[in-house]
Amino acid sequence: MAVQPAMPRSWRRESKPHKFCPGCGHGIALKALGQAIDELGIQDRVVFGCDIGCSLLTWDFFNVDTVQTHHGRTTPVMTGIKRANPNLICIAYMGDGGGYAIGAQHLVNAAGRNEKITVILVNNTQYAMTGGQMAPTTLPGQKTETTPYGRDVELTGFPTQGPEMVAAITPEGAYVARGTVSKIRQLQKMYVRALLNQIEGRGFSFVETLATCPTNWRTNAEKTWAFLEKQMPEYFRVGELKVPLTTEGAEEA
Amino acid sequence: MAHFEPITKEVKKGYFAIFPGLCKGCGLCIQKCPKQCLTWSKTLGVYGTPTVIPDKGDCISCGICAQVCPDCAILLAKDKQEKQADA
Repeated sequence: MAVQPAMPRSWRRESKPHKFCPGCGHGIALKALGQAIDELGIQDRVVFGCDIGCSLLTWDFFNVDTVQTHHGRTTPVMTGIKRANPNLICIAYMGDGGGYAIGAQHLVNAAGRNEKITVILVNNTQYAMTGGQMAPTTLPGQKTETTPYGRDVELTGFPTQGPEMVAAITPEGAYVARGTVSKIRQLQKMYVRALLNQIEGRGFSFVETLATCPTNWRTNAEKTWAFLEKQMPEYFRVGELKVPLTTEGAEEA
Repeated sequence: MAHFEPITKEVKKGYFAIFPGLCKGCGLCIQKCPKQCLTWSKTLGVYGTPTVIPDKGDCISCGICAQVCPDCAILLAKDKQEKQADA
């Protein structure tokens, strides 16, 4: 047999090429997540929950048990599964619409209760599946379908600082970080730590991932990287915001 | 198991393989190449967009293109022997 693509083992090859647009950050984030699952060897215990939005296109992405829920309700569904069977490792995968807009109540309450689940939120600064409308994370001045003159912060407020909020309301034992798909090794380490935090039963793990959306940003490859690496980190600072004291080697990232 | 046919090209330190059945032609790898040696190829990918191919002399097999590819369409192997063993 000829050489085969170097996909993570937990990816489902039959469903590839996946359904995301060319250049979509979901592919890179899910590659890092697949590598993290492989590294920990937990593929048979993972339950993967996907939200509505572009993130629902992951429903056949991994060779793990997957459930697709109502918009923003991935966090409570995963909480229920985790409470029913604490041996499972529950990953709630959502976009910024599912986490900060319609599902904000669930995210806040699950974080406040310190549920032992892992939430991975992919932030591409707008609602991508419906055509690029303004989301809670749209940057000030950014042009979208519903803000053709740029986001006016007087009228619509400032972008949501999700990890900062989660870090503020979670008790001790939570892991909160913000990664970016332009730093894949760091992102993969964050996913590994978030999953380990859940496996060891310390508390809520939350990783926001800054991702690309060339289709709705209307950017070419060069401008896509520029927007992700220069404009987004100006407002969304990348790094670990809250690390449980017992996580080994956590200070290096 | 799904099967993808690679197009391989020998470079200095091994070989570069691109899977047109996976490549969507987003061009993220071209921007990230530290040697700027990736160019559009004549082979078309899964969406009918061009795939990429490296310049044989410049590619240093660093693997950044394979790392940033959202579709895992690029594979870089440092060993030339391995290709013969596998193929």
